[in-house]
Amino acid sequence: MNAPSAQGAGATMEVKFDKAVFHVDSVKKAAYRFLDRFTPEISLTDEAIGCCLTFPAGTSAAAMAAIIEDFKKEVLDQELRRSIALETEAYRNAILALAFAPLQRTRK
Amino acid sequence: MSRFLPLAYFQKPLEQGYKLLPLRFAPLNADEVVITNQAGEWSVISRRTLNALVRHQLSYDDPEYDALKAKHFLIDNDSDVALDLLALKVRTKLQHLSTFTALHIFVVTLRCEHSCPYCQVSRQSDDRLAYDMSKETAEKALAIVFRSPSPAIKIEFQGGEPLLNFELIRYIVLRAKEINEIEKRDLQFVIATNLAVVTDEMLLFCKEHDILISTSLDGPRDIHNKNRPRPGGDSYERAIAGIKRAREVLGHDRVGALMTTTVRSLSYVNEIIDEYVSLGFEGIFLRPLSPYGFAIKTRSFAAYNRDAWLRFYKDGLAKIIELNKSGIRFVEFYAATILTKMLTPSNPGYVDLMSPAGIGIAAMVYNYDGDVYASDEGRMLAEMGDKKFRLGNLHRDSYEDIVLSDALLNPIEESYTGSVPMCSECAFEPFCGADPVYHYATQGDVVGRKPTSDFCSRNTEIFKHLIELMRGDRQIRAIFQTWATR
Repeated sequence: MNAPSAQGAGATMEVKFDKAVFHVDSVKKAAYRFLDRFTPEISLTDEAIGCCLTFPAGTSAAAMAAIIEDFKKEVLDQELRRSIALETEAYRNAILALAFAPLQRTRK
Repeated sequence: MSRFLPLAYFQKPLEQGYKLLPLRFAPLNADEVVITNQAGEWSVISRRTLNALVRHQLSYDDPEYDALKAKHFLIDNDSDVALDLLALKVRTKLQHLSTFTALHIFVVTLRCEHSCPYCQVSRQSDDRLAYDMSKETAEKALAIVFRSPSPAIKIEFQGGEPLLNFELIRYIVLRAKEINEIEKRDLQFVIATNLAVVTDEMLLFCKEHDILISTSLDGPRDIHNKNRPRPGGDSYERAIAGIKRAREVLGHDRVGALMTTTVRSLSYVNEIIDEYVSLGFEGIFLRPLSPYGFAIKTRSFAAYNRDAWLRFYKDGLAKIIELNKSGIRFVEFYAATILTKMLTPSNPGYVDLMSPAGIGIAAMVYNYDGDVYASDEGRMLAEMGDKKFRLGNLHRDSYEDIVLSDALLNPIEESYTGSVPMCSECAFEPFCGADPVYHYATQGDVVGRKPTSDFCSRNTEIFKHLIELMRGDRQIRAIFQTWATR
C-alpha cells in the first residue's frame, strides 16, 4: 500500500509511507521543503516511514489537511526526482567533466 | 529513383528508445511543470508528459518529443552530439569564472549630506574626515585591482556620497589610466552619486575621462524627498537638476538611475515608472530594500514584507509591458537580468544571482579604511559591526591573501547551489543564485534554510511569473527577448 495514513489531532499529525514504495531520502527531502509549515520528526519501522508533523500553534485543521496533501504530492515528486537523478547521474558527471576539461588538447 | 533513404531508415534508431539526460522539474501550476537542464534550457510540459518522459513511454511521434530532444532533455540513437553541446553550453554559462573580478568598488568616503533612513551603508555625517579614503589606501587598492585577470575592469566609486571626496576620485582615475597604459585592460569608471553636490568642474572631468554617472531616484518629488531627506529638503530638485546637467555635459546615455522601494513607494509604482519614462531613462530596476545598515536600524526593511513587494513588482512589470506594447521601449532591469539567463547562453554576472556566489568573483570592495570586502553587502554588514565577509586589509595583506582567504572561499564553497539542500534539486537553480551574504544577514548562515528564505520564495515567484507571462502572450515573449539581448 502506498497510500499514507494520517492520524492525530491538534497541532501534531502523523503521516506514514510504505517503505516498500517510498525511499526515506525522498520523504526527508520533501519534509525539508515544508520546514516553513511544520516541524517533521521522521522515524523508521519495519514496514513504514513515519512522519510526525508538528504545526505552528494556530494552524487550522483545514490548513493542516491541505499542507499534508501537498506534502504527499511532494514525496511523490521527490521519488520521481530520485529516479531521474539515478538514471542520469553518469551523464551529469560526463557533462561537467567535459565542461571543465581543458579547451586545447595536446597535439601530437 | 528517390535520392533519399526511406523514412523507415530514420525511424529505426528512434524505435530503439531514448535515454534521459539530467533534468530538474518544479510545479508551475496544478497540471504543468517547468523542466530545466544544467545549461539553463527550459520548457513547460504537462505532468502527463513528464511522467511519460521519465518512464520512457514518450513516443518519438509525440508532438513534444522533438522539442525535448532539441533542448537536450533526452538523447536517442539519432544524435550523439547532445553531451558535447550541453557541456559547451554549461561552459559558456560559467565562462565569467575564468576572468574573475571585473567590478571593483572604491568606498572613497562614508560621509554623506543626505540622512536617508533606509541607508544600507550606514553613512556618516559630512564633517567627519576620518571616514575618507586616503591616497595611500587608494594606491594599494589599485595594485590589487590590476592583479585581477579580468580583461575588463570597472572601477565604481561609492560612498556615502563619493563626490564629497572628489579629489580622491580624480587621483584614482588618473592613476588607474596611467597603470592601464601598460595593462591595456578595457577600463571603465562609474560614480554612484546622489548628484546633490555635483559641479560643472566635476562633470567636465567625467566627460574627459568617459566616466558614467549612476544616481538615485526614488520616484516623483514627494516620494523621493520623503525617502531621501537632506538639509533644505531638496534632494529631488538637486537630483533632477544634476541629471539634466550631467546629460548636457556627458551625453544622455551616460547617466543611469536606481530606485529603492520603501513602504511609501508601494502604492505608487505607476507614478514611479512614469517619472523614469518622462525623464527619458531606458528602464528601471524595481529594487527591494536589503537587510543592511540603517534599513535595519530604522526598521525600514521590516516595514513591508515579501508579498507586498511582489505585488508592487508585478504591478510595475505589468505597466512596463503595456508601455512596450504601446511602442515605448522601456526595460525592467531585474527581469532583464533573469531573462538573459533564461533566453540566452550568457550569464549577466549579477552578484545576487550567481552560483558559485558572486562575492569576490564578480565584485570586490575596497573600504575607506583599507578593509577589503567580498561584496557591497559585505561591507554594509561590516558597518553594522559584523565583519564576516572582510577578506583582509590593503595595508597588511597581499592579493593572494585576499582572494584565497577562508572568508571568501568558505562561503563560496558552502553556498554553491549545486550542492545545498533544496537548491540542488530546484528547477529554477540555473536562473538563481546563492547570495550567502543575504542568508547570513537574515538567518545567520551562509547557506540558509531555503524554505524560510525570502530570497528563495521571492525569486521563485518571479521566475514563475516571467515564464507564465511569456507563455501566455507571444508579444510579451518578443519584448522579453529584446530585454534579454539588449
